[in-house]
Amino acid sequence: MTSRMTHYLKGIGEDLRRDWQLYLLALPMIVWFLLFLYKPMEGLQIAFKDFSPFRGIAGSPWVGLENFRTLLEDQIFIRAFINTITISGLGLIFAFPVPIILALMFNELQNEFGRRFSQTIVYLPHFISVVIVAGIVINLLSPTTGVINLILSSLGFEPVYFLTQPEWFRSVFIGSNIWKEAGFESIVYLAAIAGVSPTLYESARVDGASRWQMIWRITLPCILPTIIIMLIIRIGNLVEVGFEYIILLYQPATYSTADVVSTYVYRTGLQGTQYDLATAAGLFNAVIAFALVFTANRISRKVSSTSLW
Amino acid sequence: MRHFRKSLTLLATCAFLQVGTAHAQDASTKIVANPLELTIHFHFRDKYVYTENWPVEKKAAEWTGIHVKNVASLATSNSRDAFNLLMASGNLPDIVGGDVTGGLKDDFIRYGMEGAFQPLDDLIAEHAPNLKKFFDEHPVVRQTISAPDGHIYFIPYVPEGEYSRAWFIRKDWLEKLGLKEPGNVDELYTVLKAFREKDPNGNGKKDEVPYFAREPIEAVRLINMWDARVSGSERYGDFMVENGKIVHPWTTPNYKTGISKVAQWFKEGLIDTEIFTRGARDREYMLGNNIGGMTHDWFASTSNYTEALKDSVPGINFAPMLPPKTVSGKRFEDSRRATVQPAGWAISYSNKHPVETIKYFDFWFSEKGRILSNWGIEGVNYDMKDGKPLYKDSVLHNPKPVNAQMWEIGAGVPRGYWASYPSEEQWTNKMALDGIAMYKKEPGLLQPEFTGVSMDAKERATYDKYWPSLLTYMTEMQQTWVLGAQDVAASWDAYQARLEQLGLSKVIKVMQTAYDRQYGKN
Repeated sequence: MTSRMTHYLKGIGEDLRRDWQLYLLALPMIVWFLLFLYKPMEGLQIAFKDFSPFRGIAGSPWVGLENFRTLLEDQIFIRAFINTITISGLGLIFAFPVPIILALMFNELQNEFGRRFSQTIVYLPHFISVVIVAGIVINLLSPTTGVINLILSSLGFEPVYFLTQPEWFRSVFIGSNIWKEAGFESIVYLAAIAGVSPTLYESARVDGASRWQMIWRITLPCILPTIIIMLIIRIGNLVEVGFEYIILLYQPATYSTADVVSTYVYRTGLQGTQYDLATAAGLFNAVIAFALVFTANRISRKVSSTSLW
Repeated sequence: MRHFRKSLTLLATCAFLQVGTAHAQDASTKIVANPLELTIHFHFRDKYVYTENWPVEKKAAEWTGIHVKNVASLATSNSRDAFNLLMASGNLPDIVGGDVTGGLKDDFIRYGMEGAFQPLDDLIAEHAPNLKKFFDEHPVVRQTISAPDGHIYFIPYVPEGEYSRAWFIRKDWLEKLGLKEPGNVDELYTVLKAFREKDPNGNGKKDEVPYFAREPIEAVRLINMWDARVSGSERYGDFMVENGKIVHPWTTPNYKTGISKVAQWFKEGLIDTEIFTRGARDREYMLGNNIGGMTHDWFASTSNYTEALKDSVPGINFAPMLPPKTVSGKRFEDSRRATVQPAGWAISYSNKHPVETIKYFDFWFSEKGRILSNWGIEGVNYDMKDGKPLYKDSVLHNPKPVNAQMWEIGAGVPRGYWASYPSEEQWTNKMALDGIAMYKKEPGLLQPEFTGVSMDAKERATYDKYWPSLLTYMTEMQQTWVLGAQDVAASWDAYQARLEQLGLSKVIKVMQTAYDRQYGKN
């Protein structure tokens, strides 16, 4: 046992000596991780305490799982949790394929200028702040002055007050998110496509394959590992819906579909300074996210031998 | 900015020049013979910190000998964060205060009981005659700020004046349509209907918005017409007290009637269809575009629009009117100025000079301190006439609003002080003053204010556990009803049952216990 340990340590020592430049390059990132992601983990104990900022973490009494019990007994939290999963799940189904399709389409564009131009256009929304995006969405959908409703009423329909109707919230949220992010996310797939060996296409062309066949038989299978990795990461974020954009778009009237865990945490935890409850909700989320990623990774390794780790 | 700084220096110089002349009479306000420096953390309204450079604070230092040195950083643009971070650091300066989102009253009390702040009762009784006199004359203020253990842990910012908001209506539209001011709920319906249908702005389009509002608390204010209240205080969705019992206004039978009627009016287009999404600039939009007919908003600021818009919207006369009589024939105004603002300052546990500090707090409640904290510097900002301070013309006739000017010199800032209504009255326009006088003449117009309860740790835990979700649900249902997504009559029982399930009676129970302890002996 001890000899294996020393052997192992010696191995590390040799590695360090041989590749010290590489380790030196990695060092700042390792320090960053330790300082900003591992060190703060000690604060997680707040989730199990009746926390008061003045008494501090050490001075606050332990309460066991009380905070988690409060959360799980709260129907509003349960609803928020279900909403989170629903919004992310629908996002996965509708938003995930869009960047892939976009990347494939860009790849087929022959005219260099047209390609650059359209790529830039779809990237741009990514760089607009969510506050502005929300403003645009609110204006577009306004029942009295919004373009969408003007079109609807000129076609003879009744104007719809989209942002106060729970059944519309998900479509508005996911739709505007696709508009904002799809272009930027397609970069990863474009890079993967660029890495596909041209000889594959050349030989396919010699065999008389059509462009459709080349997309289905060559491009897609070749970028499949990238797609799977992106999917696993996405699944890890299934329980997370960014709260800024939701807060900007939601109304009490749409809480029934729009209230997600992060907005729940924001309202109860931060506005009401209940840090312990907010931490408990965050930890609850993180544990579930970890389980999801772990399972997705397992499945993917079994089925396609591609995995995150 | 540079200009601003320059004028500050100028003011400061003026204040300095006065030192020589005013010195002799200041013996009575001196607290310490040798200048004493106290540290203070005071971050307020998300963008200001206390500073000893304010001319008003310089004057106070000169009169009392106490110099306060700010330690709060302006690097944070959130006063709530600044306060929380300070508490978490545990390293408190001599004085802690501020004015933050959600208020600091509960924080002062909670942390005070945890030992962060010193109880002030004995200090006030022994060393602060002005504060003692003030609390004796205003027992409600003392009750409002008392902790569950009976102590006082902070000195609040106490506003003065009763009326805050009023009903405003386009009187020129009424005239044009040959209607009289609505005196009761039926007449109000007729008027709003006419605003909607008879094109009072005369542009040939049916674009008038009869009732509009810019704040969430005002969106359903029309439920007043059916004797229902929107909130017991100036806080959104707060409890109220009826015959000594804590009740939530959104659970009463009147609310059921009121909200279903409001939903009906909404459906008929009498209430802005976008009332929940327009936001804070709604008033400018509605009045500036000549489409808004009626609202419920602040006396002073709303009165300014008629003046400001007289060129762009010819003939506009957006003026206050008395609340129309409700279905039961009553007349009442649901909002008022808060008795106590949840802002102010406290003495931290580590303060080595509690006596000097309480004397310094006391100074601001003395006659001299009160004038200084409201009107600024004599001879610079105001002059004494017949024993009363009056702003100088240079202050009144200035493109900058008077309150903004006062803030720049450190007057009217939310330190623990007693605001003086006459100082505000002097720069409130005539329309608002007439409106306030009209409201004042009507007996019993104001509804009693719920000034809040101080809960002990256990009560607070119960409240914190249930209240946020309750408020979420009540707000959600309110909008759902108004927007017509659900019928009030059909879903009312389910609503009551759900509130019960979410813990409403538990919250009311702890609040009632706290209320009886705090106000019971009255």
